[in-house]
Amino acid sequence: MTGKTEFYNGNTACAEGALAAGCRFFAGYPITPSTEIAERMASRLPKVGGTFVQMEDELASMAAIVGGSWAGARSMTATSGPGFSLMMENIGYAAITETPCVVVNVQRGGPSTGQPTMAAQGDMMQVRYGSHGDYSIIALSPSSVQEMFDLTVKAFNLADRFRTPVFLMADETIGHMREKILLRENVEIIPRRELKEGELPCEPDENGIPGFGTFGNGHNIHITGLTHNEKGYPATDSAELHEAMVRRQVDKIEKHRLELTDVDIVNPEAEIVFISYGAPTRTVRQLLADEPDTYGHLNLRIVWPFPDHCLDEFKNAKAFIVPEMNLGQIAKEVRQYTNVKIITAPKLGGALHTVEELKKAAAAAETATRPVTEVRL
Amino acid sequence: MKLVINEHRCKGCNLCTMVCPYRIFQEGSKPGARGYVIPVLDRPERCTNCRLQKVYGRQLCGMCQMICPDQAISWVEEKPFEPKNVEIEY
Amino acid sequence: MTLEDWYRQDRLPHIYCAGCGNGTVLNATLRAVEALGYDINETTFVSGIGCSSRAGGYTAADSLHTTHGRALAFATGVKLVKPKQHVIVFTGDGDCSAIGGNHFIHACRRNIDLTVICMNNNIYGMTGGQGSPCTPKGSITTTTPYGMQEQPFDLCRLAEAAGANYVARWTSFHVKELTEAIRVGLETPGLSFIEVLAQCPTAYGNKNKLRQPTQMIEMFKKNAVKKAKADRNAAEGIPLEPGQFVVGEFVRRANPPLGVVKE
Repeated sequence: MTGKTEFYNGNTACAEGALAAGCRFFAGYPITPSTEIAERMASRLPKVGGTFVQMEDELASMAAIVGGSWAGARSMTATSGPGFSLMMENIGYAAITETPCVVVNVQRGGPSTGQPTMAAQGDMMQVRYGSHGDYSIIALSPSSVQEMFDLTVKAFNLADRFRTPVFLMADETIGHMREKILLRENVEIIPRRELKEGELPCEPDENGIPGFGTFGNGHNIHITGLTHNEKGYPATDSAELHEAMVRRQVDKIEKHRLELTDVDIVNPEAEIVFISYGAPTRTVRQLLADEPDTYGHLNLRIVWPFPDHCLDEFKNAKAFIVPEMNLGQIAKEVRQYTNVKIITAPKLGGALHTVEELKKAAAAAETATRPVTEVRL
Repeated sequence: MKLVINEHRCKGCNLCTMVCPYRIFQEGSKPGARGYVIPVLDRPERCTNCRLQKVYGRQLCGMCQMICPDQAISWVEEKPFEPKNVEIEY
Repeated sequence: MTLEDWYRQDRLPHIYCAGCGNGTVLNATLRAVEALGYDINETTFVSGIGCSSRAGGYTAADSLHTTHGRALAFATGVKLVKPKQHVIVFTGDGDCSAIGGNHFIHACRRNIDLTVICMNNNIYGMTGGQGSPCTPKGSITTTTPYGMQEQPFDLCRLAEAAGANYVARWTSFHVKELTEAIRVGLETPGLSFIEVLAQCPTAYGNKNKLRQPTQMIEMFKKNAVKKAKADRNAAEGIPLEPGQFVVGEFVRRANPPLGVVKE
């Protein structure tokens, strides 16, 4: 891969990744700590033939990118916790209408206004379950500035491949940290599959994913947030049809877990294994650099759908330690798939875990007796 | 041209009875196939559009069609007059 | 294309109650679109939630039936990405002015090239007749059983103040004027807002002594005051009588619009 090397912060890298992936529509609303993404897009998009619009709120931002996506553009918005809560309504709409779009959430301390300038990972459950009803989404978690770029590109490809909203769950640390970054040229772009002649607008292919009937291309389709049949017409009174639609929309993602696995597995023979994503991954890597053979490490770049099969790679595991910047949201998910005891190492307030704190958690793993033990750092 | 009410679409709101300048539409009395009481047509050959659309080459009046919330009113081509042998009894 | 081709034939008859004004507004809209000779592939209908917003689904063009109140935000996205597309928004009084009020004033402020048709039936029809921001003072609804106590919104003045390029109000009785207003609105660059007072005999009329659709249409006929006459009366100091409302074209201007293809 070739490209220019720059020294960027994570948010700028994310915007550059979006542009490299062919994003041509951005609708957003200013919110710390994600604002640099909107600013970068505002200055760069008009130069590449795209459109930037600052909407009146996050409800409208999410709505606008869904509209933009149906008009044929790769669309994105960026926000943080409070705005993310507002977006939930139209995230559900994007899920039921199977609209490809990318939402960047540069997480900050919550609930509510919380800590605008501090890092957190408190929206990991909200991103999966935040809107009402049953649906499934894809969420990625970058742990470096380079990954902000690369995973943004990947997010667009996954959104178009699976026709689903895809979330880039960064945090304030990654968003504002500056690192060396390679702005890759000619990144791989997997476009969405256009609806074929004679194909119904909501008729799934062998992967359970319908073709995309871009507006203005002569498909003349009806898109609705109501439960709909294969023609796309509202059909709200059939229990069977509703179940079939919801199950298909969930299965198109959940049944592709193997394809949707993006992890690093280090020391699979280890007995004490760290599971991390986002900023805490950096501290775990620091610990592993200090003590290369003591611990195992599972780093998740795609958090949702949760790659449960990767837990089986650690055959000797006696404890999974999950350092998170929330009160153990993904730790609960790990618990669902394993009987190995789990140590949660939550840290709130915005500071990253230290190596010493991770060692403390590892020491607690030796003595813990209950299935899930929280270590107060 | 012939004025027709699509019984599959009409819901019997009777708005057409209000707007027709010739009062061609009259409130019906018997429920139709879908249970709605569909207006009946009183001498529809008086309708301006029936008589003169072909002459002027555009739609005339058409208030009933425009106000009909159920898109039930339209004009259809009539079959040309077929000569028949009629026996007249004296 | 004939007028009938603009209707999505396999979805008719529609879900509207007998005598609902929304069907009339749909007629007027499609007639205006057809009169302008728009290409169906270059026309998109966007709508929110409510009785009014089901209208988009009965058109044969691409249509996006979105979430409650957000239709204008979705339409903004569609229009900005494909400025060549004629984007028409169906919305209702609750959808547009209550839950979608913020999107409405900002769409007007941006003056984005959309044609917004607001079917104002003075009530939340889909949920069974609750009071809306456009329910006239004193009207009985299920949530105002002792009569509406609040001031209703004047959506046309709101749109005008917020910056829309074309603003008009008609009723579902004034079908010819309404069709003409929609046609002008479609041709005007920038945001065109056409408010249509549409009868809801089921939820509104039923509780307000206007049970028959024909009674409601008679009421529109009686109470509508054309703008010229209202202006004359106002100059002479004669106010509108209770129940009366002004119909006509309020604004037609050429402020710079957003989302228009540069030639």
